[in-house]
This record gives sequence, structure tokens and C-alpha cells, in this order.
Amino acid sequence: MSRRAGRDPARALLSAAAREGRAALMVPILLGLAATAAGIAQAWLMATLLATLLGHGEAGAGTLAAAAALALLQVGLVVAQETASARAGEAARATLRRRLFGRLLAETPSARPAGEGAALAVDQVEAMDGYFARWIPSAALAVVAPLMVALAAGAADALSGMILVAAGLLVPVGMAVSGIGAAVASRRQFEALQRLSGRFLDRMRGLPTLVLFRRQEDEARALDAAAQELRVRTMRVLRLAFLSSGSLELVAAAVLGCLAWRHGILAAEGHPNPVAALFCLLLVPAFFTPFRAFSTAYHERMSAQGAAAALAPILDATAPGGLLLEEVPPSVTLVVDHLSHRPDPARPLAIEDVSFHVPPGETLVLSGPSGSGKSTILKLLMGFSRPDEGRIALNGRDALALAPAELRRLVAYLPQRPVLLRATIRENIRLARPEASDAAVEAAARSAQVTAFAESLPEGLDTPIGEGGHGLSGGQRLRVALARAFLRDAPLVLLDEPTAHLDPATEAQVLDSLRRLCTGRTVVIASHSAMLRARFPKVLELREGRVVPQRRAVAT
Amino acid sequence: MSAARDLARVLGLWNPRALWLTFGAATACASALAGVALLALAGGGVGQGLATGSLAAGAGLLVFLRPLIFLRPFLRWAERMATHAATFRALADTRTWFFRRLAQRLTAGPGMTRSGDLLGRLVTDVEALDGLYLRALVPMAAAAAVVLALAVILGAVAPVLAAIVALPLALALLLPVLIAPFAGRAATSTAEATGALRAEAVEPLTALEDVLAANGEGRAIARVEAAARAMDLERRRLTRAGSLGGAAGAVLTQGALLGALAWGVTGGGEPAAVIVALFLVLAAADALGALPRAGAALALAAAGARRLLEAADHPVPVPDPPVSATPQGHALSVRGVRFAWAEDRPPVFEDLSLDLPEGARVALLGPSGIGKSTLAALLLKLAAPQDGRITLGGADYETLSADAVRARIACLTQDATLFDDSIAANLRLAAPEAPDAALWEALERARIADLVRALPEGLETRCGEAGARFSGGQARRIALARALLSPASIIILDEPTAGLDAATERAFLETLDAALAGRSAILITHRLTGVERPTRILRLAGGRALPAMS
Repeated sequence: MSRRAGRDPARALLSAAAREGRAALMVPILLGLAATAAGIAQAWLMATLLATLLGHGEAGAGTLAAAAALALLQVGLVVAQETASARAGEAARATLRRRLFGRLLAETPSARPAGEGAALAVDQVEAMDGYFARWIPSAALAVVAPLMVALAAGAADALSGMILVAAGLLVPVGMAVSGIGAAVASRRQFEALQRLSGRFLDRMRGLPTLVLFRRQEDEARALDAAAQELRVRTMRVLRLAFLSSGSLELVAAAVLGCLAWRHGILAAEGHPNPVAALFCLLLVPAFFTPFRAFSTAYHERMSAQGAAAALAPILDATAPGGLLLEEVPPSVTLVVDHLSHRPDPARPLAIEDVSFHVPPGETLVLSGPSGSGKSTILKLLMGFSRPDEGRIALNGRDALALAPAELRRLVAYLPQRPVLLRATIRENIRLARPEASDAAVEAAARSAQVTAFAESLPEGLDTPIGEGGHGLSGGQRLRVALARAFLRDAPLVLLDEPTAHLDPATEAQVLDSLRRLCTGRTVVIASHSAMLRARFPKVLELREGRVVPQRRAVAT
Repeated sequence: MSAARDLARVLGLWNPRALWLTFGAATACASALAGVALLALAGGGVGQGLATGSLAAGAGLLVFLRPLIFLRPFLRWAERMATHAATFRALADTRTWFFRRLAQRLTAGPGMTRSGDLLGRLVTDVEALDGLYLRALVPMAAAAAVVLALAVILGAVAPVLAAIVALPLALALLLPVLIAPFAGRAATSTAEATGALRAEAVEPLTALEDVLAANGEGRAIARVEAAARAMDLERRRLTRAGSLGGAAGAVLTQGALLGALAWGVTGGGEPAAVIVALFLVLAAADALGALPRAGAALALAAAGARRLLEAADHPVPVPDPPVSATPQGHALSVRGVRFAWAEDRPPVFEDLSLDLPEGARVALLGPSGIGKSTLAALLLKLAAPQDGRITLGGADYETLSADAVRARIACLTQDATLFDDSIAANLRLAAPEAPDAALWEALERARIADLVRALPEGLETRCGEAGARFSGGQARRIALARALLSPASIIILDEPTAGLDAATERAFLETLDAALAGRSAILITHRLTGVERPTRILRLAGGRALPAMS
């Protein structure tokens, strides 16, 4: 059993989650059974009343009152069942979402589009809701509740009970036949849905570019084509899924026909038990209600399986392990030894056999044309991915043995394309060290020359800025990101193009403050700014991922 | 009621699909009536048999059962296929309509609205609209058909019984409309909470390097969890509205059932009529059972519609004139322009004037934040000056459509984006018909052809989201190639050499003349290297363009 589950990661994920939530899932099932029992009892009372009307037996107002009371009880039980189902779904989703989001954050940055990641953490996790809130309870009820109804009918009239049992056995056969093809198609539908939403976020981000090249109309048409593709795929899933509900209706109609003929013929010869005849007919809707709920939820299960197939590879990935850091040392000696890395198997090595050594208080500038591997080295030092070969040592200890998050505790890092959050400038700076005091944030803002332009904004440092830093120029955004590095106050500083997009006057100011940032720290800067290289004499020249021998570097 | 108005507008958008939508609803009514007939015939037949003790009386009814046994499942399947096919068509229309509206309105970028939220709006809210038809209008039509049929059939036999049974059921028909306001409030806040959750999830993933660098994983997870809890609390209210509505519907149906029985027990009349009534109600319960959910669906759709229309109804930043003038040539002139991004922001330009004669090359200098990118936005008609005028080929910008302007002016903006598509597709944004040779030429001029040639898939290499597969400088040069490929007669290059090393920068600027091939150009930069040979140098300062000293 467990071996089979091991072969299908999606199914394994779903059954593991169901096992965890077993206690919460039992509640709606038991409440549903109680509601069915109340329904059976009420049908019996109504049958007695009807038989009385037809001149068989004598039931009265008491029976009517009892039927009304049972009806109310059943309504109450159903409400309770729905509430309990929703809670079970909630709990299961919360567990999955927490685990998944943790894994998404541990992935190599920019390996997966942000829109796709968010769709996984929100839409795909939400798509699992029906599995726990409706599918599992309804699947259990679809087995037990019709059996209860059939037994009740059988107690009244054995042949009617047998007709119901036979019908109950036919239902899953019809569903299984139409369900197999539907499961395959369902997976395809989810891929299409994900492509559509990933594509939209991508195009939405670049909407200004599309509009400037007057391509918005073409993109709208392409989006329409993608939607049509989604429709065709979805209809293919539904054609089969609906076939299974059609087969259910066929069985239900056939049962009704069989029971009507049986009791019609019995009635012609003077029915031995008129109450039983009416009881059996009244039970038909109650018998098929759990199957209908199951049939609706069957679609939910397919959705959940599609979602689980997308989530399982991420959840199954081994969690990034590694040693913990006892404390952040006051100073760091960085040694990089014969480092090689190929981030994309389809491309040549991004860096090859790179070695250098930076003692505390020194700054090393990595220089070279764009694409020469400067950023790759910084990303490896940040633990965003693991090098294919070579060694990184901090104070003589193997840095790669540390958990990546622990390694980053030592570092203040400025990415090449820093992203500003939709928050105030102050909150954006504080990201680097949430517990920092206002005074510390303001000092960092001053050091990075943020205060210089923030003073002219309506609310100073408390001015809200949009996602992507709307309202700030490229240079201003960079300085906000630089302020983060100041606030971080870490022994190792890694800066990726800290003065790109700056005009010479601002660059000179930023360089002054960079010097202050670098004092007493171990610093690696990737840059091809001539002004920056002039201030920091120690330069490592890179070309196509390799270190250029020192003499040639000096010659240029 | 504004919710009703919003939904009416959505139905208006669906007008071209009216035939599909009507066909779906009609199939649903037929399917529901077939279901009612099935149970009523079976119950009625057996009841009459029991009452008279002979088969003859009931057989008439039972004979009709056989075709229905096959008709009902087929109608049910057809109903679901027809309604879903209609919905998907209508939704695809809505999705592209929304995209087009946003393209007209958000030209200066997502700005203060989170792009994650926009994604949520399009995908989730458009899909919530499927509930309007599938889970609200169709079930309501089917239930109404059933109640009407029931009232007519019973009315012919026993009018009092018909009233006893049909009144509570008719009341149940009103349930969706009664529940909708309650569910509406819950749905609005659920949709908002889901949007907030999505934004909380998108943000740290977009800024992943920054978050990891700050050891912010724990805080990001905690924020996502808090947003998810808030969303679940709102969903509980929605579930409660749905299940209480369901309870109300069940109570009304049971009232009709027990009412019919009470009428019979107290000697109201013909027992056979009671039996038929009982089975009719029992069958109707199936169709009516979908109504409480219809209320919730109605509310969800209204909330989705509200948010979609709100975004789609933003005023157009720079409205187009009804008919665009045609510029004579492409000399560009700016006179006395005053501009501020918002009323409470300091003005970027006070009295800006500059000229770009045909074939001229103007270098525009100034420190970052002085408004160089804002000037590009004004020239591209992404924003309109509060005062002063801009003319292109003698035609005032106010008389030109944005499309006419952008057909003549191409721009490499600072935030030029590469899309998650092939390099070729990204380049062809500027010139869809360009042959591969032209693409290579543009790449050559942007000094990136060698790198692309070395890629195993060449021009077909995918760029990744926002060009993530390339380094900053490489992505920038592909964007530069795209701007150079454009057939426009004016090219604005905003910091074209950012991300280039000094040698490549010089090489590019030296060959800029050839790359421009006689087109006019505005070169926005913070410094000159000395090889640009511009026809004019202007310096932006104090909201004006001044001739540079050099």
C-alpha cells in the first residue's frame, strides 16, 4: 500500500494530509449519518400518514408533529455538518500552506516566477479545500449512508432493499469508467490555468512596455487565445466528469422505475404492506442524495489531485539542512577556493575555478563586463545556490556546511535588482533589521543619501512607495536598498552594482558613504564603475567566468 | 442597488453570447422538469394503485416512466455541458475586455496597486463571475420553472392544495435575493482577504533575494499565515450565510410537504392529489436545494464584478481625441510645459521648452530624480502637462491619439521589461513583421548578438519572468535592441548604456549614428563620454531645460 503511494506523489500527499486531519474529518461524517437516520425516520412517518390517507392504517396529528420535529432535527444536523466540514478543510489547508510557503522561500531566487509561486501558495492550496471539506466526508457518507437507507428499505420490503443495494453497487462502476480519463485531463487543465495566470502577471508587470510598443491589442488577443485553450481543455475534463453524473441519474431513474413497477404490481393484487410501498418510494431521493454530493465532490477530488501533483514536487524536495550559527562573529575572513558553477545546465559554466581571499577590513571589487560571473559569485556567497565545485570558507570554517539562512545572518547584501515593497520608505529600510530603532533607520537613510531626496517628499521617510518603487527614480530606489545594507550592520558585506544608474554627483556621495560602510568589514563589490574602482584599489578582473591574470587587469 | 447595476453591466458584456446562455438555461429547465415528472409519475402511479387496488388506474401514469428514465440523464448531461460551454465563452470575453480596459488606464505601470492583486482580480474575480450564470441564474430559472409547473398541475386538481404547497416554495424562490446582501458583505470581505493573501504571497517571492538577505523568511511566512487566517474567518461567515440559507430552504420545503399532508389528514380532499403533491414537492426539493447556494453565488459574483469594474472604470490618464490629426514630419517641440505627478507633489517641470528638429540628436543631462524619465512619459503621451503644449510634426499632442504618437516615437525606458517569452518574440514587440536578419542586426547594434549566438537555442531562448534568465546588463541590451528595431522616426533612449562596462559603452555610442540611421533621438543620460556627438546638449535643472555650458 505504502509502496503504491510512493509511486504517485500527488496521492501520497493527499492521503498523508488526510491522515493528519483524521479527527477533524470524523465530525462531519458522524453528523451526516445522524442526519440520514433522521431522514429515514421521517420518511417512515410520512409513509404512515399517506397510507392512512389511502385508507390503510390510522395515523394522526401526533405523527405529523413528530415528522415536523424530525424535519427540524435533520435541518439542524445538516447545518452542523457543513460547519464541521469547513473547519476540517481550513485546518488541512493551513498546514499545507505553511509547509509549502516555507519551501518556496527556500528555492533559488528567480528559479520560479513569483506569479507562479503565489498561484501555488494561494490558488492551488485553495483548490485542495474541497478535498478535505467535501470529498472525504462525502466519500465516507456515500458508502455508509445509502447502505443505511437500503437496510431500512429492506426491512420494510426485502426485494426493494435488494434493488437499492444493486443500484448502489452500479453507481461506482459508472463513475470509475468515466473517472479514469477525467483524471488525466484534469491535470492538463491545471497546467493551462497556471500558464494563464503566470502569463497575465508577467504581461501586467510589463504593461507599460506593451503599451509603448502598441502591442496591447495583440496581447489581448493572445490572452483570449489562451483562455480559449483553457476552455477547450476544461470542457474535455467536464465532458467526462458530467458523464459520471449522467450515469448516476440513469441509475436513479431506473431504480424509481423498478420500485414503481414492483409496488404497482403488488398494489394490483392488494398490497400486503402499503406503508412499506410508500416508504420505499419516499426513500429514493434520500438514497441518492449522498451519491449526488459524492458526484459533485468527485470533481473536487480531481481538482485537488491536479493541485497536489503541482505541489508534491515542492513539498517532497529535501528541506535545506545545515549547521546552525552559534553567534555572529565580529569580523570575517572570506576565502573562496577553486569555485565553479553552472546555474543552467544548458549554458556554459557561469564561473570557472575562481579563487580569492578577503581579510577583515578589506574590500575586493569584482570587475568585468556584464555576464562575466560577478553576480553569480555573490549569489553563491549568499547561499542562494550551491556551487558545483570548490570551497567557500569563513574564518577557516566551511561556509557550505552552514544552513543557507544561517550563512546569511553574517551578511549585508545589495542585490543587482533590489525590489522595494509596497510600504513606506522607512518600512522598506527596516526590512533589513525589523527590530531596529527609528534612530537607527534614520541614520542608515542618511548614510545611503536617502534623506537627501526623502526630505522633498510630502511625508519624508514615511512616504508610501508602490511595488517596484513607483514614484522613485532608479537611483533613488537603489539608495533605499543601500540603506538596508547600512542598517543590517553585518561583518560581511556583498554589494552587486551599488552605483549603477547614479549620476556622477550622487555616485560620489554614495561612494563616500560606501567607504564608511566598508570600514572594518569584509566587503565584496561587483561593479564596473570606473569611479568605484578608483576608490577601492583591490580589484579582481573577471572575463567569461574566469579570473583575468593580474598583469592584464592592471594594463586595462 | 449598485450590486444589481454591476451585475447588469456584466450581463451586458455577455450580450454577444446571449444565444449560448439562453440555450443553457432552457436545457436546465427541461432537465429539472423531467426530474419532477419522473418522481411524480412513480409516486402518483403507485398511490393510485394502492388507493384503488388495481393496476389499471396507475398503469397509465407508469407507462410514461420508461422514456423519462433515459431522457432525464441525457438532459442532465446536456444541461451541464451547455451551461458550462456558455460560461467559459462569456468569461473569456470578460477577461480580455478587462485586460484592454487596464491597458488604456494603467499605462504608467501598476504603480500603487500591487500587481499580485491585479492578477487576483483578473483570474479570481472573472472566475467568480461564472457563479452568476452557473450557480445563480440557471438554478433560479430551473427552480422557477419547477414551481410554476407544480402550481399549474396542482391548481387544476385542487386549488387550495396548490396554494398550500406553492406558496412556501415560491417564498423559497426569493431566498437567493434575500440571502445575497448578507452573503454579499461576507463575499466582499472574503474576496478582499483573498486578494490580501495573494499580495502577501507575491511580495516576498518577488523580492525573494531581499527577503532572504534580511533573514525575513519567518516573518514572510507569519504574514502569509495571518492573511490566511483572516481570509478563513471571512469564509466562515460566507459558509454560515450559505448553510443558514440552506436551512431556510429546507424548512420551507418541509413546510410544503407537511402542509400537504396536514391538508389531507384533516380531510381537505382527494388523497390521490395529496400523493401527487407530496411527490412533486419531493422532486422540487432537488431543484430548490440549489437556491441558497445561488444567493451566495450571486453575492460572490457581485463582489467580483464590483472590483473588476472599479479597476476598469479608472479615468483614462490621457484621453484620446475623437479623431487623430496626422503629423507632418516628425519635428518635436515642447513649449512652456508645467507638470506635476500629483497635486500634492512638487512640480517636476515649471516652464520646460525644447526642440528636436528632424534628424537631430539631443543629449539631455541632469542628476537622478530631476525628471528625465518624466519627460519621456510626457513625450509618449503617458501623462499630459498641466500647462504648455507639445507638438509633433506641427500637430498639437491634444489633437493626436496616443497610438499616433507612439507609432512615431519609440522609447527605451528605465523599467523596460522583457517578457517570459523567446528573445525573438521580445524583440518583435517593436516590429512584429521583422525578419530574423533584422533582429540580428538590432542585437548586433546593441552589442549583445555574440551572447545570443552562443546560446544553444539562439533567438528562441526564453528570457524568463522579467528577463530573469539574463544578467541585468544583458537584459538591458536586449531591451535596447528592441528599441532600435522599432520603425519609429524618433527614438528616446533613457540611460541606454546603464549596465554596460566602459569599453562596450563607448563602442555602442560611437556607432549610435549608424544605429539611428537618420532618425531623431533624445539621449537621456547623467553624463557624456565624449563620443556621442549630439547636435545639442541640454541640462535639466529647476524644472527647465537649459543649454549646457560645454
